[in-house]
Amino acid sequence: MTVLEQTGAPKTIRRSGGRHRPSPLGSKWTPYLFLAPAALFILVFQAVPLAQEVYLSFTRTTLLNPTRSEWVGLDNFNRIFGDPDFHRTLLITFVYVIACVVGAVGTGLVVALLLNKGFRGRGVARALVTVPWAAPGIAVALIATWMLNAQYGIVNRLLNAIGLGVPGGAILDSPRYALPAVLATTIWQLFPFTSVVLLSALQAVPQDLHEAATVDGAGRWATFRAVTWQVIKPTVGLLALLMTIWSLRRFELIWLMTKGGPVGATETLVIDLYSQAFDSKELGSAAAIGMVGVVISLIVITGSRLVARAVEKEDVR
Amino acid sequence: MRRFRLGLTARIVAVLVVLGVAVFPLYWMLVTALSSNGDLFAERPRLTPDIGRFGVFVEALAEGKAAGWLLNSLVIAVGTMVLSVGLGIPLGYALSRFSFRGKAVLTVVLLFTQMLPEALMVVPLFALFRRFDLLDSLTGLVLVNSAFVLPIVALILKGAIDGIPRELEEAGRADGARPFTVLTRINLPLIAPSIAATAVIAFFHAWNEYVFAVTFIFDPELQPASVGIANFIGELGTPIQTVMAVAFLFTLPAVAFYLLAQKYVVSGMTAGAVKG
Repeated sequence: MTVLEQTGAPKTIRRSGGRHRPSPLGSKWTPYLFLAPAALFILVFQAVPLAQEVYLSFTRTTLLNPTRSEWVGLDNFNRIFGDPDFHRTLLITFVYVIACVVGAVGTGLVVALLLNKGFRGRGVARALVTVPWAAPGIAVALIATWMLNAQYGIVNRLLNAIGLGVPGGAILDSPRYALPAVLATTIWQLFPFTSVVLLSALQAVPQDLHEAATVDGAGRWATFRAVTWQVIKPTVGLLALLMTIWSLRRFELIWLMTKGGPVGATETLVIDLYSQAFDSKELGSAAAIGMVGVVISLIVITGSRLVARAVEKEDVR
Repeated sequence: MRRFRLGLTARIVAVLVVLGVAVFPLYWMLVTALSSNGDLFAERPRLTPDIGRFGVFVEALAEGKAAGWLLNSLVIAVGTMVLSVGLGIPLGYALSRFSFRGKAVLTVVLLFTQMLPEALMVVPLFALFRRFDLLDSLTGLVLVNSAFVLPIVALILKGAIDGIPRELEEAGRADGARPFTVLTRINLPLIAPSIAATAVIAFFHAWNEYVFAVTFIFDPELQPASVGIANFIGELGTPIQTVMAVAFLFTLPAVAFYLLAQKYVVSGMTAGAVKG
């Protein structure tokens, strides 16, 4: 309320008082005073370390003697790109990211459409559905590992009961099932976020347009495409971009469930870089792998901007 | 009519399935914590929590190091929350209200940091921490966690300040108030919900953080719960009930807090994300 009272007063005060006191440092410097502490922080803890990583990627440096770096030019990049294991890592990363995007956005959309209709207890349902997103990743990795336990895990017990059990039962030790299991866990944790965001996007769908389409005899699918999809398209695009970037940098969940194994079956770029640095103790190669990831993210972001712009133009026409 | 009924039933069933899938793993955590060994390893495990075994939570806190872990997590999370929101408010304000040289670059940098994995930054940060004697210190974790959550905090707060009409500020300025006073007296009360949202985001960013904590902390006394719980995975010494009890105590505040603040967190997250 005080704020509103102030709005009425300014002009009179300015005239009568003339108390306007210029900032001692001059207004030109004011914004820098506000942002300096934060900028310094980001410089020290993000920019400088990143620059160091870029440098490391062109050197041979080991964890055992990290202060001695030998400049080797593009050797690290040549080596990793010549390594079939790294090709597998790229492929796994690609599969993991695409599956996360499609799985999280797709599931999120289905759930959002389900929860969008009014029904009793909808508020409770919306709250409960966000639980996986709120749970800490560490706890999720722990409970997933326990549920997937070969002997006593509930998942195997259920699968066995319906005759679909994995031979030996160790899902996370199976080169075939480890990645789907990690993916299912990841999507389980992500879909609440996508569905809540899509749910708020759905509020913007004009109901009368929806009804008009239905009256016109359009089927459900046609109505969805003509009305709903047009409204939520930008949000879907944004979520796909977010899911891509988050999945490219996800570490704990995969690391704690499988450490990238078995035999590299769940080894994404970030997992590969971490084990290069701390198991193989090769900081140079690790940095090079990290740079590949950063460049991929940059390409995705730039590409998505271009696509978004093209789509906008298309829509205007 | 008949078709309508069927559709309704299908919808109800679908909603229940989704909710079941969403909640089951945490429910199972609780059931496991509250099961006896006999129940756990029986042919058919018990499917409901044995409330009579509630003491497992008290034991987990009293016997092991879990209470210390959770306390360390709390210290790191509160520190990160205060520092990142404290730095994020003036940064968000500068980005929203002033035009200055380097603004575009700064905005791009803030967005760019969102795609840097912690696992990539951990090596150079380790060297930095060693030089400044920040290894084995909770302060060090507060500093690095704040730096990593600061961009999203600042972007969300910038978006919130963008939404305040400038006239309100001009009134204050005409009164002779300095920029800082304008910010604290006029803007902050109006963006209180967004500040709350960023506080929750920052708190749980630090509460959940693992990579830096596991790399920079060697002293078991200083370990946060994320590291302590992660160490349970693949370890066989601790009874699974204790493990799940500790994990549940670690998860519960995150979920409860989030549900309370959900409205603000989601709008804040999407607002911040939209800028990306």
